Amino acid sequence: MHFQYAGSPYINREDLKQSYREYWAMLARPGNWWNGEQRVAIAAESRNANSCDYCARRKKALSPYNFSGEHNHHGQLPAATIDAIHRIITDQSRITQAWIKDNASQGFSEEQYVELLGIVVTVFSIDEFNRALDLSPEPLPQPQPGEPDQYRPTEAQHGTGFVAMLPVKGLSPQNADLWPQGRSANVLRAISLVPDAVRGWTTVSEGQYLSFNQIMAPTADTNRALNRMQIETVAGRVSSINECFY
Amino acid sequence: MLSLSAEATNTDVDLQLINGNTGGDGGVLHGSELLAFSEAIATRNSDTLAPTRQALLERAGNDSMVDAAAVAGNFQRMVRIADSTGIPVDGMMGTLSAPIAEELNLRRFGSAQNTPQMSALKKLVNIPKRLLVTSLMRITGSR
Repeated sequence: MHFQYAGSPYINREDLKQSYREYWAMLARPGNWWNGEQRVAIAAESRNANSCDYCARRKKALSPYNFSGEHNHHGQLPAATIDAIHRIITDQSRITQAWIKDNASQGFSEEQYVELLGIVVTVFSIDEFNRALDLSPEPLPQPQPGEPDQYRPTEAQHGTGFVAMLPVKGLSPQNADLWPQGRSANVLRAISLVPDAVRGWTTVSEGQYLSFNQIMAPTADTNRALNRMQIETVAGRVSSINECFY
Repeated sequence: MLSLSAEATNTDVDLQLINGNTGGDGGVLHGSELLAFSEAIATRNSDTLAPTRQALLERAGNDSMVDAAAVAGNFQRMVRIADSTGIPVDGMMGTLSAPIAEELNLRRFGSAQNTPQMSALKKLVNIPKRLLVTSLMRITGSR
């Protein structure tokens, strides 16, 4: 079983371990635009980004779009896919809509980008938790067989950010579970072009941080050792260092 | 959310701790250890990670340290989702956070370009809105 943390005396929270296990099971299955093997390969590649020499040099460049070289990589994925994974981890603030559109014109579709983004950021958040506690990254799951079903929600629309997203109102019945009590936020909608990507990261987010309903009720009990003020202090300081305006 | 949480619970918090500009706890229990651990994680500083983790463990205990690592992991993700999709701050959240963003000079961040600046008139209109929403949050949370 994954995420037992048997070697760690620290981690007593079963809900957190369970949220990670649920995500690992989702990661291994075929998605909408990548099969299970590709999804696990994307997760593996995300672990190369922070030690990539090319990323470190590009990060210092005035523009990341006039810079050539090769990433340190596992060699299991196409070059544009590897570049997207590394960019999301190491240089995300300079990602542009033009770059996403250019990738799409060369066969790396918007839908594939959104599903990949969901995998990269969710795996990264779990890896960061382990790193914070001086634990090795969890071994990745065994990919499950099957092909992606290429599902694109008909209600997805452009206009909010760089990619198409689901609206707050007017979801089809199969996606009606996405917004708690009919309320949403752009950070939830951001990767909703692939609804399961939202389901995956909110599962982990509820373990690591809070549920959407808890977020909207600052005086409610957090069921954590940290009180709400302490939680938001960590959230705010990490976001500030990451230069996150959102 | 720190500002809203502070208002909703009538807690006096120094919001400058978000920018690392406070010398102490900033009004938050174990604030200085939480800030130091958060900074070590977000800056990927391997020299400071172990000592700040140990300091938090000794001061706040095992479960608080694990919670802090989990929250930090979560917010290492959030910025990457927001920037990689170019989303603006939502209407209501923008309404609530605009004065704080100004106080903390958050528009210095490159990702602020995805959210249009608020007009002076809108800022004025937002004052009663903010009071109303924090009051509602207080009522919702107490149920």
